[in-house]
Amino acid sequence: MIRALALLALACFILLPLVQAVILSFTATLPRPNVAEGAIGLMNYRAVLAAPELRAAMVNSAVYVLLNVALCIAVALPAAYALARFRFTGDRHFLLAILVFRVTPPVVLSLPIFILFARIGLVNSPVGIALVHCLFNLPVAIWILESFIRAVPPEFDETAFLDGHSAPGFFLRHLIPQIAPGIGVAAFFCFIFSWVEVVFARILTVTGGKPITMAIQAMFGFQTDIGMVMAMTCLSLLPGMAMIWFVRHHLARGFSLRA
Amino acid sequence: MRPHDNRAWLLLLPALLLLGVVGAVPLLAVFNYGFHDIFTLTDVHWVGVEWFADILASDRFLASLGRSLLFSAMVLAIQVPLGVGVALMFVGLGTRAVWGLMLVAMPLVVPWNMIPMLWMGLVQPQNGLMGPGLLALGFDWKSTAWHAWALLLVMDTWHWLGLVVVLAYAGLSAIPPAYRQAARIDGATRWAIFRYIELPKIAGALAIIFLLRFVDSFMIYTEAFTLTAGGPGDSTRFLSIELGEEIRGFSYGQAAARASLYFLIVLAVVWAFVLATRGQQGARSA
Repeated sequence: MIRALALLALACFILLPLVQAVILSFTATLPRPNVAEGAIGLMNYRAVLAAPELRAAMVNSAVYVLLNVALCIAVALPAAYALARFRFTGDRHFLLAILVFRVTPPVVLSLPIFILFARIGLVNSPVGIALVHCLFNLPVAIWILESFIRAVPPEFDETAFLDGHSAPGFFLRHLIPQIAPGIGVAAFFCFIFSWVEVVFARILTVTGGKPITMAIQAMFGFQTDIGMVMAMTCLSLLPGMAMIWFVRHHLARGFSLRA
Repeated sequence: MRPHDNRAWLLLLPALLLLGVVGAVPLLAVFNYGFHDIFTLTDVHWVGVEWFADILASDRFLASLGRSLLFSAMVLAIQVPLGVGVALMFVGLGTRAVWGLMLVAMPLVVPWNMIPMLWMGLVQPQNGLMGPGLLALGFDWKSTAWHAWALLLVMDTWHWLGLVVVLAYAGLSAIPPAYRQAARIDGATRWAIFRYIELPKIAGALAIIFLLRFVDSFMIYTEAFTLTAGGPGDSTRFLSIELGEEIRGFSYGQAAARASLYFLIVLAVVWAFVLATRGQQGARSA
């Protein structure tokens, strides 16, 4: 009984702000031709999808997040394998170093990152954001994949190598299918830290290549159409919700401190 | 036992290269800028430790540091026990826990700059869902300092509770049910089960929760800036807000010195924390 009440309270707490956003997203908050203020309907979503800069922002966000996740997994996989299977000089220092990078506040690095990326032409491009988000996503991906690889018995690798598989063949055809849920969980955590990030996303998109977060920011002005802002916000939640749904049975693997 | 093989470093090379470019090089650059006065990128003067001395001697810096530390302490004191409590409750749900996890994970995918917007809409006196009720209670975050703090804490808890719950649940659900049953048959209290069976299992998860929640709350910017830009008065002027002001004011040298200081503070806390957890691990395995 107490538990049911506690769960209900938790659900209300989590859902209340989202409910408000969803209601506003279906409400006309500014008068428009043919639509009275306060009317209920899909007008905000239509307006969002009709705006080229907002559509472009969705594409930009999707591109940089996909690039970031792909890059993190590709780079983290060999590193996680090395940490799970071997001891080597400095392995604990490596773990400590990636922990330090994970906890470095983005605002500390924003200035030199901007200057560095401006010099190599990565400002206003989704590639720049994808690269710099590796700073906090790569460590998480390494921690998660390491725990999944560790759970696979070493005999599994030995059998594959005895069967004559090369190292890349082993990674692609044996290890990756074996730890697929781990890759899903790593992708999920990379996604949630990257999709919603604002510090680097702001500093690296001065004139173009704006992701969803910055496009929403740009919608605030003298006369803000808050209904349209909320419609854009609700749309930006959909990929995240889909991610949560896909990894729901593996979410509970999480990650923990490795140092 | 894992074999010792230094060729494993070859597998770390891509990761090291990537972190070098986006982490180590900018970090060195920011320390370097901190010792210079930067007018433009071509007009740079060496000033030594002047910025650092200025910042460390200023009362505003110490006041902001105090506020940020207090805010982090409150965030940890609220979110860690609450998150672990919710995770324990979810463990009792069995297979239905997945719905709970999905629920608490939802705020994690909301764009950060929209979180203050959502909450400001919610508590808005005229048409927010909670506005009229809060107005009747005399809640006014624009002019009462502790109301602004309360709103920030609620907002931050809403945002990050899911991460604490998911990571804590991960540790808890790895405990075989037989452990708890055996303890209960032996007459262990609920507290004893938590203290001696569950807590050791989630120690690793709690450690990373502590560190992640510490740094993110210590450097809170978007929420505090959007809400009141440091006000009312200076009551929510956290460290990151001062840094933001300097960057917007184009005093890059001073901003870099400040950023270096913040990094060193975070590093000191992380280092102390890692040493403490290693000490505990050593004590347990000894």
